[in-house]
Amino acid sequence: MKPALALAALVGLAPATMHAEDLVSGLSQDQIQITSSYAGTDIVVFGAIESPDTGESAGQRDVVVAVRGPDADFSVRRKVRIAGVWINRDAIILHGLPGFYYVATTRPLSKIASRETLDRYQLGVENQKPKSASTRSPRKAEPFRLAAIRSRIRAKLYGEAPQGVEFLGYSLFRVHVPVAASVPRGQYAVEVYLFRDGNVVSAQTTPLYVEQIGIERRLFHLAQDWPFTYGLATVLMAGLLGWGSSFLFRRTT
Amino acid sequence: MEIYLPIAEMSVHWLILLGMGGAIGFLSGMFGIGGGFLLTPLLIFYGIPAEVAVATTASHITASSISGAIAQWRRRVVDLKMAAVMSASGIAGTFAGVHVLGVLKRAGQTDIVVSFAYVILLGTIGGLMLRESLQAIRAARGTSPPPVAHRHNWVHGLPFKMRFRQSRLYISVLPPIVLGLIVGILSAIMGVGGGFIVVPAMIYVLRMPTTVVLGTSLVQIVFITAATTILQSVSNYSVDVVLAFFLITGGVIGAQYGVRMASRIPGEQLRALLAVMVLGVGLGLLYNLVATPKDVYSVSAGVP
Repeated sequence: MKPALALAALVGLAPATMHAEDLVSGLSQDQIQITSSYAGTDIVVFGAIESPDTGESAGQRDVVVAVRGPDADFSVRRKVRIAGVWINRDAIILHGLPGFYYVATTRPLSKIASRETLDRYQLGVENQKPKSASTRSPRKAEPFRLAAIRSRIRAKLYGEAPQGVEFLGYSLFRVHVPVAASVPRGQYAVEVYLFRDGNVVSAQTTPLYVEQIGIERRLFHLAQDWPFTYGLATVLMAGLLGWGSSFLFRRTT
Repeated sequence: MEIYLPIAEMSVHWLILLGMGGAIGFLSGMFGIGGGFLLTPLLIFYGIPAEVAVATTASHITASSISGAIAQWRRRVVDLKMAAVMSASGIAGTFAGVHVLGVLKRAGQTDIVVSFAYVILLGTIGGLMLRESLQAIRAARGTSPPPVAHRHNWVHGLPFKMRFRQSRLYISVLPPIVLGLIVGILSAIMGVGGGFIVVPAMIYVLRMPTTVVLGTSLVQIVFITAATTILQSVSNYSVDVVLAFFLITGGVIGAQYGVRMASRIPGEQLRALLAVMVLGVGLGLLYNLVATPKDVYSVSAGVP
């Protein structure tokens, strides 16, 4: 909840700052529904900066759009080679790492703000940290955390677009966020930050819901809640398909 | 069109699933096998989690064996008593196997143990089949003596004898029980029907008449794989019904063409071909086990 707290503090502070700039943003859709034919989609985050000064300081402002999925737990295992075969040995469980994370910026994050600032707002793929881990030693957990991030990147569930914020004119911007089919279900947060000279001057959070609807959702719940019925139904389906096909093909040959 | 598999939690194009099912169905029709020992590795190669691959393949075997089982039943060439004994012990074996798989899953060792079991199984079966079919090819050319028949049988010395009328046998009930147990465990851990073990064991160990071997083994396979599917659903939540539907649909279609193809190729060459294929899959899995992985870390969702 660290970034959310930081955001709340910031919203309170914002009117007092010198550069009172207003940020408005919105989403193309506030709900994504995963159905059987869902092959991934793009959501569009758009927004505008209403700033009192125009022109001269345009180069120093940056927009960062981060989409954060619901927290999840991950088991990370390290393989070692024993007698020529690679076997899982050390395992660490990471609790509360976002199941999805995508950040789009106007410039590479390292150029926008200092390490400390990025760390405070947990911005950037590498800055995603679990709430807790099954080991007390951060040094021991670190390679496992990085491995979890690598695997999320490979699965297209974590991503960074250093030039992903597209400006349409001086104040209007737009970001395409790719949402793969395998994204976790739940409540997401779309965070939009306006940076000026390395400091956050304005921020906004919008919720986004990802739901699984249709037959898969029902099947998933059936498998979890009524596993015996689900198993029996699978067997009956298999039996009918296998048995039925022998009739079908006997008639045609 | 991409299909979302609710249990495997991935999107796959439905034609790929239909194609995989069809290819395995073609082979099972052509060679008269259930095909589980080829389908499970194929699914693992494709990226389906091992426990989902194993559990879902069991339902595929139910489908591919059931019409044969019903046909044999109608012809009254099924030893029902034998099938009942083996199914009962087989289901007990399935319980044990599903439990073992659950323990492996929590320890994060499913993929490795399942792959390793497959390397051993496919290596042994492929090697034996290749040797046998090469001998048969040589025998057909008249350069090798016919194989010597078994002379004595230790099975007759065991206690708890039972009469199996249909098989015209009066033997100890222990070997069928042990055989059922082994097949049940294999079905749960590897997703196979076990025909490749049951059929030779019925012929050479139990000495059942060959007329009833096929029917009895098919009936027993249907019961054991059905039990495996239900138990995997209940204990491991690992059966993907959407995956099963597409694999089975492809499978029953492919099998029809496989059966037709089989009549055009001589038997021993067909078996040599299958042996080479089995060895190839085994080598592929072995390579995955010994080759340096791209990332030595592996990540799975959730707490084991």
